[in-house]
Amino acid sequence: MKFRPFYAVLEREVLRMIRQRTRLVAAMVRPLIWLLVIGGGFSATVGRTHGVNYQDFLVPGVIGMTTLFGAMLAALTTVYDKESGVMRMMIVAPLPHGWIVTAKMVSAALAAIVQAIMLIILLLLLGYFGKDTNWLLLAAAVPVASFACAGIGMLTASFSRTLDNFAATMNFVIFPVFFFSGSLYPTQTLPRALKMVAMANPYTYGVDFLKHAILPASANPDFSLALDIAVLAVFSIVALAIASWRFSQEAAVEPMIRVLAGKRG
Amino acid sequence: MTQTRGCWRASGEFRSAQENRHLVARPPENVQRLFVQRGIGLNPAIRASGLSKRYGEVLAVDDLSLEIASGEFFGLLGPNGSGKTTTIHMLATLIRPTTGSAEVAGFDTGRNAVRAREAIGIVFQESALDRTLTVAENLRFAGLLQNMPAKMITERSGELLDLFGLQEHRTKPVATLSGGMRRALDIVRGVLHQPKVLFLDEPTIGLDLPNRRRIWRFIEKLRAHTAMTVLLTTHYLEEADSCDRVSFIRKGRLVESGTPGAMVEELGKHILEVESSTIESVVARLEPKVGPCLRDGDIAMFRWAKEDVSELALLQAELAADVGSWKVRRPNLNDVFLWVAGGKALKS
Repeated sequence: MKFRPFYAVLEREVLRMIRQRTRLVAAMVRPLIWLLVIGGGFSATVGRTHGVNYQDFLVPGVIGMTTLFGAMLAALTTVYDKESGVMRMMIVAPLPHGWIVTAKMVSAALAAIVQAIMLIILLLLLGYFGKDTNWLLLAAAVPVASFACAGIGMLTASFSRTLDNFAATMNFVIFPVFFFSGSLYPTQTLPRALKMVAMANPYTYGVDFLKHAILPASANPDFSLALDIAVLAVFSIVALAIASWRFSQEAAVEPMIRVLAGKRG
Repeated sequence: MTQTRGCWRASGEFRSAQENRHLVARPPENVQRLFVQRGIGLNPAIRASGLSKRYGEVLAVDDLSLEIASGEFFGLLGPNGSGKTTTIHMLATLIRPTTGSAEVAGFDTGRNAVRAREAIGIVFQESALDRTLTVAENLRFAGLLQNMPAKMITERSGELLDLFGLQEHRTKPVATLSGGMRRALDIVRGVLHQPKVLFLDEPTIGLDLPNRRRIWRFIEKLRAHTAMTVLLTTHYLEEADSCDRVSFIRKGRLVESGTPGAMVEELGKHILEVESSTIESVVARLEPKVGPCLRDGDIAMFRWAKEDVSELALLQAELAADVGSWKVRRPNLNDVFLWVAGGKALKS
């Protein structure tokens, strides 16, 4: 196994993250708006359920949101790489192409983890965080959820050819994944159809894992911890396998090769 | 028993030699002797046999066989869309041939793609750099992808940036470099890991003349420094003049191969270019005496195999009234290209 190429992909992701400060600021502001504005507003009307007010209930949801957006946006740079030519550097490297997909997925997860940690520190400083937190469990939940989100991102990236449909990806993948989950409400009390969708959404289990780590036991997470971990782990592996397979398919690489050859369209 | 098996094996070898009969681009013996003089090895760095690539209805590359000796500077020439890039991408393991196989540095490009890629450096027609990173960061990224230790990357990129005159731009983002500098950096990226075989796919496309010349000086310096095998595609024919050997490709098929000098010689001693507003009738009168021509609008191009051009002078006097311009000149590789691209055989 060659680890330098792997490290190269991670290093580039971190460099890019540090360079693109606005992306980082947006990653902090977005969850804070949800927590302070939406959470604040609903807290006043909904009141406390299961011993938590709505704003506190929302904390795992917005941390999940950070991992979801962080991982998705980082994974979608794979599409940008395809278009900009960086992928050319990667596909000529003496590595199996699955190794590149793995490195991209790990770096997307890493980006999500870094952003989640930053948000957690911010929330701690703002005093929204920490009273019932099981830190050990949280230290496991953030990376596991991040990997699953990176998996969703790599799957999306491996099936989209150009960045033109980036807005579509945002509307038809990221937002639905976020809304059809337990981020904003418990899934158990959802109408049947919505509940089914939420249960089929791997991200739901990531948020649930975060709830186990952050909320008091009285808040009743939706699923058992074991189920959360099992679903997230299996999904991450399957997503990686499918994305790698897609990449190894000529169908996925060849349109790009045609672009490299200057034969657009 | 042992003998039978030996026979069987021998017949298998015989058969495979038969299959290789269409290795049209293998250097002929006189060329091979020339290579030995120039220190070019004869173990093929690149070997392709019967490569074809089909995209739906289009046969982009058609039964292409090719051997390129290690250390050779080989030019693959042809018009746009003739299959040059598809060939390079198949040889560089980036796309799979529909049929046929290829080896680079002794490694099969299908079964052993990763090992083959270790020996390959490739410069694409379009840039393969991250515009958001600096020159040094790009090279570090490329080097690490090639599994090079960080120290070696710094040393090698230092040397190459010196050679290419990019040293003072090390810390600038690639987006701020000019097109020529970016292309130079792309080549540095392609050779950073000291590949045995370098593919240059139209390395000077889209560059102005001074930048093209500069890129060519770099490539010459590189070749002087290393024993790299280079496969070049270009349609700037003057750039292919320094190749050890060139092959012309047309509609996915290799049509002519040889040293640039020999091919120019084969075309003829002189080229006659005639321009006329009544070119049809002029051609009709010239063709029986001079041979077939290549037409381009009002211009017709004829080959003349003899050193003596007095016969042409007579023809010129005869046709003077109908002819706008009459030019007799020495042929060059461009003429070979036009001749071959026009679908004409080189042998008269």
